[in-house]
Amino acid sequence: MADSPEAIQKARNKYLLVGLVLFVFTVVTYAVATQPWLDFGEHGFDAADATIGLGIATLKAGLVAAIFMHLSNEKRTVYVLIVIGISTAISLMGLTGWTFTDPIKYGDWKKGDKFYNPEKVVE
Amino acid sequence: MEIPFTVTARKDTGLFNAKVGIWLFLASEVMLFGGLFSGYVFLRIYADYPWPERTLPVLPGLINTFVLIGSSVTVVFAWASLKMRQWRRFQVFMSLTIACAGVFLILKGIEYKAKWEHQAVRMDDFAVIEGHTHKAELDEKGHMHVAHGHGEEEHGTRFWANRLIFKTEAASFSLVRAYEPWVDTMLEQAKERHAELVASEDVFLYGHPADYPAPEVERKAAEQKLIGEHKNSKPSQHRFGKNSLYVAKGTPLNYRLLEKARGVFVAGRAGNAKVRTRVLRSKWDVAHAEHPGKPNWEIADRVKIEPADLAGKVVGLTPALSFDLKPAIPLVLKRSWIRNRPLAAGAEKASLRDDTSLTGHLEDSPIALAVDAVDFRFMAMKAEEADKNPMTVIERSWIFSEKNAHAEDFKKVWELHKKRIKKVEEHLVDKYGYKDEAKKIPDRVPTETERYRIGWKDLVQYARAQKMGVEPGQKEFAKLRPTMTEGFAGPNHKNKEYTEELHPFLELEIPHQKVSLESKFTPKWNTYYAIYFTLTGLHGLHVVGGAIVLSYYLFFSKGLYRRNPEWLANRVEVGGLFWHFVDLVWIFLFPILYLM
Repeated sequence: MADSPEAIQKARNKYLLVGLVLFVFTVVTYAVATQPWLDFGEHGFDAADATIGLGIATLKAGLVAAIFMHLSNEKRTVYVLIVIGISTAISLMGLTGWTFTDPIKYGDWKKGDKFYNPEKVVE
Repeated sequence: MEIPFTVTARKDTGLFNAKVGIWLFLASEVMLFGGLFSGYVFLRIYADYPWPERTLPVLPGLINTFVLIGSSVTVVFAWASLKMRQWRRFQVFMSLTIACAGVFLILKGIEYKAKWEHQAVRMDDFAVIEGHTHKAELDEKGHMHVAHGHGEEEHGTRFWANRLIFKTEAASFSLVRAYEPWVDTMLEQAKERHAELVASEDVFLYGHPADYPAPEVERKAAEQKLIGEHKNSKPSQHRFGKNSLYVAKGTPLNYRLLEKARGVFVAGRAGNAKVRTRVLRSKWDVAHAEHPGKPNWEIADRVKIEPADLAGKVVGLTPALSFDLKPAIPLVLKRSWIRNRPLAAGAEKASLRDDTSLTGHLEDSPIALAVDAVDFRFMAMKAEEADKNPMTVIERSWIFSEKNAHAEDFKKVWELHKKRIKKVEEHLVDKYGYKDEAKKIPDRVPTETERYRIGWKDLVQYARAQKMGVEPGQKEFAKLRPTMTEGFAGPNHKNKEYTEELHPFLELEIPHQKVSLESKFTPKWNTYYAIYFTLTGLHGLHVVGGAIVLSYYLFFSKGLYRRNPEWLANRVEVGGLFWHFVDLVWIFLFPILYLM
């Protein structure tokens, strides 16, 4: 992290540049979502647009975190805290994702399954 | 006392303490917002209605994104200025940051207000109509008339044209559940129209067994005596005995009366319950004595309360009071008050959710609105689920039928819409060709939203095209579409010039029986708006909190700057970290709520 006056003077240009990049990325996100000539995947909103939109958002968030929040150059303690926070959030999201494994609704029916239903057997 | 590690770093963490603190807090914030984001994902995946993708006006969201990014830059510059010991520059950049927070909140406020005023109706055939509710008035006969005008508050006989009009002759109020604001509303309306709600008969409420003579003949005689005693006074309620109440026929209703009656009713009910328990206990004692050693389940059928056991010990209970509305007048009620919606046309009874029961006649009470969007996506989805052709189902729906007085307007708009979609189809085939040349299956097709939804900009475009005789496909057609600035946070219904000249929206009156859900664009309307308000509301609170902390640095920290500028710089860094996090959350909120 920039601490000396000279380093901070230098960092100011970097902050301005990052701000500018964030502006540009916002315009790109907007254009991808609204302009027909920048429509990816199928016509209209689809997985490709979602991936690109969220990809750009992640990139922007990464820039804010790395440069504005000085995460590109921080102490170990901070990294540990962030990793704990983010990994807990993601694993909790993953836990709710278990609903997709509900065999009654989503399973392929095979003999020997816990909720075996002869009418829905996939041979 | 000296606070340690406000300026210098601790050896073990390598950080000043406040920084550890803010990162701990931000880590917990990540989990909080992470939970809500996963809530969004699951609501969207499991939505049983067409998710309103790209439905919000993008411009306010886009500007807010720029504003927050800009404020992130200024807050980091404010911190850098402090590090360089440039107080003036710090003040400038911090002021800019707080100004950005202000702009963000104002824009958010405009967006919220637009949603709170915008009416949505889902009909029983799954057509979704959006627009601006008109005001209505009752004429001398008590019939509803739409008052085309904007901006007036609901007062007197003027009300929003999404209410139910029930010509009421009598009303019965539950003593335990009657809801005070509803009762008061009815009383107000009665007063305005020079009518009165008065008790329809003499009622005796008993709250203590001592007041309740067991033989009916005796009781009736006592009641008659009481009636006689008060015959010559103004009809009113009178307490008698230990805890009982006599409500004379003709007593005017007020909520205090219901409260008083509730007190007596509840006491009577509690007393009866006590008596029952006592009788039951004594019966068990007898049964146990007669069958020593036998388990309870074997003797349970012998333990019964007979009516004779309770005679003279319990009181008769009256759970509701009935009132006559003299003369009968139409009451204007909110739809949400009614229990079994929709009421049948001309229904003679209406049951409210607080167990109030109204007797009378349901008048015609359509929802009257200036329509700015017609959405058939839900209808198309339901048609496909039932293996029917969506277009056929749509074109046979109520809105295009003879029953709708404005059907012709909608038909014209629908025809223009179909022509436009045809052009889109042709354009997509020209550009991307066919997936299957032989079967003529195009590679790309219009989206469901394009096909089945006529948004407000479409509607205005069609209306203008119709006026000027321009057809879709002609060069001028595209130019007729409203620009981004014409309706900043959605269609403009307020400006008279707009509604008459530029935004000629369609009129529609939807009969009460056809409405399956009506709401403003609030969390009640669907899960999208529920998660929208939850996420943006929580984010907005963060903006407010952040702005307060940053303002504190700006306005109350000159002393600290003189004493210990590095400490202030560290504080601003910590506040700045929070501010960046708020920006970071918005960076995700903007695409998922506005663009996807």
